[in-house]
Amino acid sequence: MTQTLSATNGVPGDVNPLRAGVASSRITDPCNVIFFGASGDLVKRMLMPAMYNLRLEDILPAKYGILGFSRCEWQTAEFRDGMRKSIDEFSRSGAAKDPLWSDFAKRLSFVNGSFDDAQAFKQLRLQLEKNDAELGTGGNRLYYLSTPPSLFGTIIDQLDEAGLGPRDNKSGWTRIIIEKPFGTDLASARALQAEVNKVFDEKAVYRIDHYLGKEPVQDIMALRFANVIFEPLWNRRYIESVQITATETVGVEERGGYYDNAGALRDMIQNHVMNLLALVAMEPPVSPTADNIRDEKFKVLSALRPMDRSRIMLDTARGQYGAGALGGKPVPGYREEPNVNPKSNTETYAAVKLLIDNWRWADVPFFLRSGKRMARKNSEIAIRFKGIPHRLFGEAGDSIDNNVLVMKIQPEEGVSLRFSAKVPGPKMHIRAVSMDFNYGTGFGVVSAPAYERLIGDAMRGDATLFTRWDAVQQAWEQVMPILETWQSTTDETFPNYAAGSQGPASSDRMLAADGAEWRKI
Amino acid sequence: MTPPAIPTGDIDLIRSELARAKPHITTMNLIVWIDRESNRDWVLQRAIKISEKHPSRTIILDASPGRVGAHVRPLDPNDPAQQSAFIDIGVAGIPSQEACEIATSLAIPDVLTVLCWSAETLDDSTAFRCFFSAGELPVAVVDSSLGVRDAATILELAKFYSEHPGVSLRDLAWMRLHMWQDIIAHFFDDPALRDELFSIRKLRIVAGSDAEALYLGGWLASRLGWSATARNEFADRNGQHIEFEHERGGQARRVYSVALTTATSVYQGSVDEGDASVVRVWVEGTNAREERLVPVKAIDTASLIERAALEDPGTDEIFERALRMVPTLMAD
Repeated sequence: MTQTLSATNGVPGDVNPLRAGVASSRITDPCNVIFFGASGDLVKRMLMPAMYNLRLEDILPAKYGILGFSRCEWQTAEFRDGMRKSIDEFSRSGAAKDPLWSDFAKRLSFVNGSFDDAQAFKQLRLQLEKNDAELGTGGNRLYYLSTPPSLFGTIIDQLDEAGLGPRDNKSGWTRIIIEKPFGTDLASARALQAEVNKVFDEKAVYRIDHYLGKEPVQDIMALRFANVIFEPLWNRRYIESVQITATETVGVEERGGYYDNAGALRDMIQNHVMNLLALVAMEPPVSPTADNIRDEKFKVLSALRPMDRSRIMLDTARGQYGAGALGGKPVPGYREEPNVNPKSNTETYAAVKLLIDNWRWADVPFFLRSGKRMARKNSEIAIRFKGIPHRLFGEAGDSIDNNVLVMKIQPEEGVSLRFSAKVPGPKMHIRAVSMDFNYGTGFGVVSAPAYERLIGDAMRGDATLFTRWDAVQQAWEQVMPILETWQSTTDETFPNYAAGSQGPASSDRMLAADGAEWRKI
Repeated sequence: MTPPAIPTGDIDLIRSELARAKPHITTMNLIVWIDRESNRDWVLQRAIKISEKHPSRTIILDASPGRVGAHVRPLDPNDPAQQSAFIDIGVAGIPSQEACEIATSLAIPDVLTVLCWSAETLDDSTAFRCFFSAGELPVAVVDSSLGVRDAATILELAKFYSEHPGVSLRDLAWMRLHMWQDIIAHFFDDPALRDELFSIRKLRIVAGSDAEALYLGGWLASRLGWSATARNEFADRNGQHIEFEHERGGQARRVYSVALTTATSVYQGSVDEGDASVVRVWVEGTNAREERLVPVKAIDTASLIERAALEDPGTDEIFERALRMVPTLMAD
């Protein structure tokens, strides 16, 4: 870049000399953020509080506008009131206060209309042009589709029809955030992608999976690629198996209607858990840029051995919780939950064994599991190393356990390493010890909650923590044989695990076939 | 008279207690110097907060009058929040060199050592200098406006730094300025206003303590190639005089307002009168800009110390230049 020098001072004229050492986390590009489904729960509980907190952290650009679009018959004043109540109730920083609230509120506006109403989209266009003129938002637009997936295609078509797509935006950038799930199976995902792709180039599409915005997920890369001691062991020569766990104690709560059509495989394994697998198994990226990281994630997903239908009974396990107890209190079974079919065949637990056919991971089983109403909320990745090649120490009764490295994601965040040590004394007794590392998070330098981080990243144009289409497609291809088999067969054993337990026995048997067992949740 | 010494048995006891601790991770040694009873609890609370988040070996050296003896609280395997070994040693009347050597000998090698200095003074008579006399030099964290509103501590710090150039020094009074540095820089992120930087004729700062005002003036000077020429005076690269006016106002350790006057405009920021958590920022004159509200991120002391510890050890050239200007700006 050519720099112009200030005539009198010899300081490069296109560099602000005051910025040296004074990095700003403020987003530089002015922009409008448009929430479709603005009266919905996600906007109220998560997205608007996230926007307000970005303002409180002084991360929003100096010039910004926020538009809500929904079928709700609100006017802008009612939208502002509603959003203030949401912030008061759900923001991590407490109730909104003046003068910052008033300053924020005057940038909020609302367009009411149906998602297939061309007139409403014309209204949206007028409001965006007004914002550009009055708020200086520079033509930059970030659309956030916080609606049921069935409406994504309609909204995208209407945006294009109204001249609100990237093709027609000559003055700034146009990006779109799409909430998961991205499709309900491979065919619907492809159809949706075709709709999206008609209007938006892949680089403008930000598929959000809030799980990826969590700090410990990002720590996986730091542990692997900021240390020299792990990477030489990170392969089939030293690793026996990998277990990825994402369990919850909660049931389906208010989401029975959605969940009964989704299930654990679609809701968790196809996206969250597959993403964790990609991060733990990928090759080192050339650089930490979005595309280099996403290239490596795609490569490892495309090396997954396709699921052989004849092995689905052996390499997968499904479960559904029955009544049980959690924290000493009885909880109902899945089929007794609101909006759930009393004869439901939907799995609330899924376990899958996957193999990666490449030089690094050949024959190393990756065991993935996710379930609701389990004994404990626990997300972790456990790397189990191979046993020692020759036993040199230890009395006959001593067991020499394999080394295990655990990356803890939630609720604890940290790393734990199990290794063997000599018990003090005259004899050579060996026992396993655990070395744990947890950063506390109580104060000071803490990372923003996932939605704040991800919305901020999308406004900056940083797609690192968003999922690219090729990875989404690959993950669907992997789970489709399982999904189809499970959908076409009824599991007569359901419910097959009690709420508050470790999961179904069939899942234990799946691992036992490999001489393995699940880590206790 | 022979100065008192810490009984060897106490230190041996500490070592054996530490050796019994479970295997653990240590991210740093945190040595905390306290010199008076009245702020002991305040300082300890912050040290505990840091050590709960960052597994550390925390060594408290308490020189408050009458404070002698030593004890250790090793890690408690049953308490997940307690990740740090906590050693508390009374060093009242102990020769500085000895106190410093005890702390150094108890520190874990190969990890960063952070010295948190909570005393008001850094003069020649204090133990502060002993930590920089030999061996692994710590990152020193001081606060030039912790207990004083005048410039006494920052002047001692400037003197110390001129005698020990190159040490890793972090002053919380400097670190508190980040928000104001960002506010000022933000005016000139607009390329159309960039040349205005070189026609500043007056800088006026109102702050609760002198250290913050002096640092903010020194920061601007260091970035724009100004030199401090006399008390409250800068000169730009062309020798043009720049008036530096600073007065005490508002909360201690906080900047209250800043105004930069150029040939055409006045660039201003001031804490909102009704709500101290907001700064109003605006420009008057030829380059007038609409008022903008900036939320004040009041960063607590423990968080600042954490930031100081997480920064790369080494010198900060911009801070160093600003500090070097202080004696001239305060000259009689």
